[in-house]
Amino acid sequence: MTHAPADIAIEYDIADEPARRSWATPRRRGVALLLPAALVAVLFSLIPLAYLFQISLTDGSSFFFDARYTVDNYREVFSRYRPAIAETVYLAGVSSILNLVFGYPFAYILIRKVRYRELVRTMMTFPLFGPLYLAFGLFYIFLPNGPLGGIFAALDINIAKYLFSQGAVLFSMLVFTFPFMVMNIGAALSNVDPMLEEAARTLGAKPWQIFMRVLFPLSWSGIIAGFLMCFGWNLGVFAQPQLLGSPKEQSVISLQMFLKGLVQFNYGLAAALGIVLMVMAFAVTWVSLRFSRGALGA
Amino acid sequence: MASVAVDSGPGVPRQISLKWFGAALAHGYIWAWLVIFALPFLATLIYSLRTPSGEWTFAAYQYVFGSFRENLLLSVQTTAITIVINLIISVPAAYAIVRFPIPGKSFILSTLNLSLYTPAAVMGVSLVIAYAFLFRIPQTMIGLIAAYVVGTFPLMLVPIIVALRDLPMMFEEAARTLGATRMQTFWRVDLPLLGPGISAGILLTFVIIFNEFLVTLFIAGPGLTTAALRVYNLTRTAGFQPSTAALATTMQLVSFLVVLTFFHFFGSRYLKGTYLI
Amino acid sequence: MTRVNLIDVSKRFGATLAVDRFNADIADGEFVTLLGPSGCGKTTTLRMVAGLVEPSSGQIRFDSQSVTNVPTHKRNVGLAFQSHALFPHLSVARNIAFGLEVKGTPKAAIQQRVQEMLDMVELSEFADRVPAQLSGGQQQRVALARMLATDPRVLLFDEPLSALDRNLRDTLKYSILDLQRRTRKTAIYVTHDQSEAFAISDRIFVMNEGRIEQAGTQLDIYLRPQSEFVAGFVGDNNALRGEVVAVVSAAPGEPKLVDVLAGGMRLRGLNPGNVGVGDAILAFIRPENIEILPGRRHDDEPNVVRGRVEQIVFEGPTVRIVVDAGGVAIKATAGGLGRLTLLDQNQREVSMKMQEVTVVRDVPAAA
Repeated sequence: MTHAPADIAIEYDIADEPARRSWATPRRRGVALLLPAALVAVLFSLIPLAYLFQISLTDGSSFFFDARYTVDNYREVFSRYRPAIAETVYLAGVSSILNLVFGYPFAYILIRKVRYRELVRTMMTFPLFGPLYLAFGLFYIFLPNGPLGGIFAALDINIAKYLFSQGAVLFSMLVFTFPFMVMNIGAALSNVDPMLEEAARTLGAKPWQIFMRVLFPLSWSGIIAGFLMCFGWNLGVFAQPQLLGSPKEQSVISLQMFLKGLVQFNYGLAAALGIVLMVMAFAVTWVSLRFSRGALGA
Repeated sequence: MASVAVDSGPGVPRQISLKWFGAALAHGYIWAWLVIFALPFLATLIYSLRTPSGEWTFAAYQYVFGSFRENLLLSVQTTAITIVINLIISVPAAYAIVRFPIPGKSFILSTLNLSLYTPAAVMGVSLVIAYAFLFRIPQTMIGLIAAYVVGTFPLMLVPIIVALRDLPMMFEEAARTLGATRMQTFWRVDLPLLGPGISAGILLTFVIIFNEFLVTLFIAGPGLTTAALRVYNLTRTAGFQPSTAALATTMQLVSFLVVLTFFHFFGSRYLKGTYLI
Repeated sequence: MTRVNLIDVSKRFGATLAVDRFNADIADGEFVTLLGPSGCGKTTTLRMVAGLVEPSSGQIRFDSQSVTNVPTHKRNVGLAFQSHALFPHLSVARNIAFGLEVKGTPKAAIQQRVQEMLDMVELSEFADRVPAQLSGGQQQRVALARMLATDPRVLLFDEPLSALDRNLRDTLKYSILDLQRRTRKTAIYVTHDQSEAFAISDRIFVMNEGRIEQAGTQLDIYLRPQSEFVAGFVGDNNALRGEVVAVVSAAPGEPKLVDVLAGGMRLRGLNPGNVGVGDAILAFIRPENIEILPGRRHDDEPNVVRGRVEQIVFEGPTVRIVVDAGGVAIKATAGGLGRLTLLDQNQREVSMKMQEVTVVRDVPAAA
């Protein structure tokens, strides 16, 4: 093997490097790329929300003429609208609990036993097209001459009496957020090694013991994240109570905001309701993101 | 215990049947839910095809291509514009967040995602007020598109960030050593390889915006009734009509076909960690 | 036709100094290997030459022109990656054409060059396949073709064979050497595999903890390690600490020798030139340079040490023996038919003849 000559004399001058101090540092270029998205978020999310907060502190629609600053709107929200807030939280809470109760076994079976997962994922997109079509379709099912009328009649169930009821609203909320719950629990369960269950079984654990001592603790983060995500979505429920609910369910905050703001033009009160709803939703989301450790992490 | 172990003859079939029963129960449960997912759609479909006297007809669909046509066209138009704008602002933003040294990344990301967690009615009220009295663009197409963009661009951003993080640096480095500039690298290497992530973003934006009615209800003026809003309005004013059902069926059918097409080409992997699945 | 110089090149990642004042003068057409364990800074050094990592200080020159601040895409270097990094969305031909396309080369010229490259790596019939349809070895050959298509000034290899299986590695390393010889391009090759380094390099830089431990030809590195690290990392070695007891005067033309007392043994080894009587030294003896002499008959010969066989293992082509020489365990290997005799005789007492002893001045490790 030949050796190239190695020791050629070195004549260097370190000082002759070309200067490269341009304004386009990587950091500046990064910020520039981020700018359009940031601008959209600031203009159409942050500023309107800040504006909403300011208006929530003014009386009626006075802000636009001769602003009278007051906290009366919030006083009203927490007195006269307390039942509305309670109803909103109640519906969101109960539907989320139902989601957990029905969603956990679904997610478990899906992860452990089902090979046709792609089909399940595809079918699960139907509820995601929105609560409006869902409520519309359910409305027809609840009618006596609906598509399942024959089945209900055979079973001697008077299905029509459930239309405009809490049960109908809760069921539609359950179906709408079901995919979120399944996705969160499924993600947590798919990280639990099936060997752990087998190990517990060989150690003599009964099925309910395996659930309580192995599965439940290991999928805890998914349960919390799924529950809070469903809760957060259902806090903003609008279409289902309007189409399927009784006046009691129709007192939910989103519907009230629409009435006060766009029908009665009481912007101050609508804004205050909006701020309260938003604070609740953000609090829930914040906690849920802490638990979900989603794809984006911190 | 001993008798069970020794007398395995009759024990085994019983165990098998028990196991079979459990499996049937488990799969039955899954299928029951699959039926529930599809049921509202199927009910709407049936309703749209039936006359009050119980005969089958496509008559209701004449409205879809008649008086609902402009609503559908508006929906398609707004959805398409939103997707394009989302792409234009999300792709560079995702690239900046993953590949550039920017301070406070997680804070920026949370701010960008803020609108995703704002209840639709709150967003509607805040925008209707801001549009009317701050930006002076009430009931305009610009306002409607801006609302759609701010509400959905995070859904585009997140899958692209996920895909970009999954993409090893070596492809970009290989391109650079072969003489490609940063722009050439982006167009020739990153963009094609990010295809599935970007498509996932397009799918999410499509599914949400095409079917959006609530924010639209707050901010769209009389001339800007999208198909989804038309379904809502008709339901509120005219009750449950087969023609409304036909429109709702069409909307869901189009959405579902788009989802099926996407899953066929890309699978559901790139939707992980996002709002869907 | 490029001479590459690295002058005092350092790279700091946060608190760790990944590369510490790397100096090298690589001649035009030379094949240089950076050899070292993972994390020794060899890949970082290579990436600095490619421009993918910016040095914290120092200068990199191609043909005595600084490229330190020239961006990667203007350096015209070819880089082969560990996992080939072929663009999965492009066909083999488009992969090879990539570098020419981005430079705006005319279509006809691209086509001709791609065909040339495909012929060179003997993959013409695979031009329209995508990388996923090729075997690991074929993929790496396409990567080589892609790298050479743009006629780069310097070829850089970042452990290009480590993801392949052993047989493929052996053939491909000679293909790489062959391509380099034919194109007469300066090459820098990074590896942790010493057999690869020995097979293909003109010169080897052994690196450890960001610094060059030793630079030299294969023979220099293998036969005359300059530090404990090199002796231990390259091949197998018995390292014995001791001191110089006598400097042997040698006739002109004869190798200079030195007598040392190391591990309780008096040994005669090559004089490194910088030691005097009483200096602390390290003596290295390769296991294959120890001849096992049965019985006790050789005590008067130089460099013969007596010991007790502690362990004897048959490894196929060789027999591996551990001998206890006065409390010091010495590893030795025996090949040929002699190894079978050793096994048969089941001897306990043996004499070892240390055929070559390398002596290095013992520099206490900096705290």
